[in-house]
Amino acid sequence: MQMYEEQKSSCPVKVPVECRFSPYTDNGGTTLAIAGDDFCVIAGDTRQSEGYSINSRYAPKVYQLSNGSVLATGGMYADGVTLVKMIEQRLEWYRHAHDKQMSSGALAQMLSTILYHKRMFPYYVWNTLGGLDEDGKGAVYSYDPVGSYEKQKWNCSGSAGHLIQPFLDNQIGFTHQKEKAPLTLERVVQVTKDAFTSATERDIYTGDNLEMFLVTQNGIEKTRVELKKD
Amino acid sequence: MFLTRSEYDRGVNTFSPEGRLFQVEYAIEAIKLGSTAVGIQTSQGVVLAVEKRATSTLLEPSSIEKILEIDAHLGCAMSGLTADSRTMIDHARVEAQNHWFTYNERIKVESVTQAVCDLALRFGESANSEEALMSRPFGVALLIAGIDEKGPQLFHTDPSGTFMRYDAKAIGSGSEGAQSELQEQYHKSLTLEEAKVLSLKVLKQVMEEKLSSTNVQIAVVVPITDDFTNKKKGGFSFLTEAECQAVIDQLA
Amino acid sequence: MEPATRTQNPVVTGTSVLGIKYKDGIMLAADTLASYGSLARFRDVERLIKVGNTTIIGASGDISDFQYITHLLEKILIKESNTEDGHQLYARHIHEYLGRLMYGRRSKHNPLWNSMVVGGIRDGEGGTFLGFVDLQGTTYEAPTIATGYGAYIAQPILRKAVEGREDTLTEEEAEKVLEDCMRVLFYRDARSINKIQIAKVNASGISISDPRFLDTEWAFAEGIRGYGATD
Repeated sequence: MQMYEEQKSSCPVKVPVECRFSPYTDNGGTTLAIAGDDFCVIAGDTRQSEGYSINSRYAPKVYQLSNGSVLATGGMYADGVTLVKMIEQRLEWYRHAHDKQMSSGALAQMLSTILYHKRMFPYYVWNTLGGLDEDGKGAVYSYDPVGSYEKQKWNCSGSAGHLIQPFLDNQIGFTHQKEKAPLTLERVVQVTKDAFTSATERDIYTGDNLEMFLVTQNGIEKTRVELKKD
Repeated sequence: MFLTRSEYDRGVNTFSPEGRLFQVEYAIEAIKLGSTAVGIQTSQGVVLAVEKRATSTLLEPSSIEKILEIDAHLGCAMSGLTADSRTMIDHARVEAQNHWFTYNERIKVESVTQAVCDLALRFGESANSEEALMSRPFGVALLIAGIDEKGPQLFHTDPSGTFMRYDAKAIGSGSEGAQSELQEQYHKSLTLEEAKVLSLKVLKQVMEEKLSSTNVQIAVVVPITDDFTNKKKGGFSFLTEAECQAVIDQLA
Repeated sequence: MEPATRTQNPVVTGTSVLGIKYKDGIMLAADTLASYGSLARFRDVERLIKVGNTTIIGASGDISDFQYITHLLEKILIKESNTEDGHQLYARHIHEYLGRLMYGRRSKHNPLWNSMVVGGIRDGEGGTFLGFVDLQGTTYEAPTIATGYGAYIAQPILRKAVEGREDTLTEEEAEKVLEDCMRVLFYRDARSINKIQIAKVNASGISISDPRFLDTEWAFAEGIRGYGATD
């Protein structure tokens, strides 16, 4: 998102100079969420990049929210951090106003309105929201930066989204498959790990660590696996 | 009595030495001039019943609106200054719609009641950044009936901004008699049908005119069976004149 | 009416800042040059500062913006100390404050043109902290951080020396690797100077060295045409 402008000076040679300010940057990263019958897995790598540089090998962008949902953010890290902070404030305010935790469905709708309210200066973030619905079923919602959203069974967004999504369509949705293996938590975790290790091979913005949140009726378990660091 | 009070009648937000806000108390008095309204909560739903005081035989009774819909799952009966109630009901409707827009769920009965009561004290001088909206308190009491995840509920609000939950509550000119009758007759296992009959029985006792299907109105809020995005069944609805007559017929 | 004008580019700038974790705490390094475009305008500007008793900050980018930020930090520190409520601003808090400040300004399209490295004691529980903030409000923590050209030239050297050795790297080793990196930067970054400072936070508190000159080797230049050799 860099813009160049020709330098205005008496210098005979015109050199491009980086000068115009862009409020946006892309910090890369991949996020994934899969809903099962009674569980949900939300995952993301922990690399933060800028251009060809790795800023940090551990800058988590998947957040466990206070209502028991998990939000995975990708795109501009600073916008993601700000968005999550604001959501947390809204969750707390909702708790005070209505004397209950916000459901994942209510949060899904609220996130859409929050994003759309910044339609003219968007949060440059691709969100994926995962959790359990009121009936204890796995739920995944994915968004574009301006709040368009959809309830899904599985989703992969971010820098390696285009690599992993068709893999999930095949392994979770069983497209072009005769046999459908039961979608157990163990299998979903394995598919998630395989997806990220493979994406790490080809996508320079994905790597370092994989952080997974396993949401079940019994609570949320957070696990971390190493990915390649190159 | 007015001589001793008058100093503290000037500023609407000035406490008297006894710690009272007279304008608010007078507003509560104003409700006792209004027509009677009754609300009864049962495990099957909530009943709202009001008397429609026709001041003239030439008055079209159907133009008197004392029960209003707030949202699909919320209804409201009022007593007092009808015009004031418009402001409150409008606010409640906006609040309910905003909640649905933001959270894609129906607002709770208590939350919408709280939202209405937040308005109640915004009279007099403005304080801090809060803008004062009105020069005087509302002269209205409301019975807000609705259903949410906690089941059927009935709330009462008054001009002081206080709200409380009731099993059965009467407001307006006949409220004293009506309330003691409700006290006598109410029990937890009341069915919705029994509650409809009881509400009219109570109204009949305190009404000056003879009760008929034209001078009373009944509404109920019952559980919504279908998902509200599809064609719903239940929620808030008025009884038709015929249905109303059927209830009257049960008054022995 | 004049249109509102905002900082669209930096004016007097500082180049790379480096920061690493080591056994006893955090170490930062920066040179003392403030450039005006390609002109080496001020050769004695200190870009490493102490914030309270547990935090150090190094800044690259616009010097006047950094002096303004320094002023803001002084203000909040005084306010916090006058409150006397037992709260103390540790590195984690300063980093968060700077993150919100920079993000807030970028959201008004009026950025503070800096990249900063924040190091120190994490919080009241102890531990060390090394974090980064820039003009877009981007933040992160890492065991090695380098701004500007340092991200390309010094970062690989720092990662090789530090990653996985955060708890064993001695103060001497840490200082040596930073000095080596500053030297490489001086050789390759045209906006740098051979006068540096090193700041440390460890159990004995904060210390920021006086500016000192790097030892550099130019003997090889004698054999290079244009530097010494004539044919």
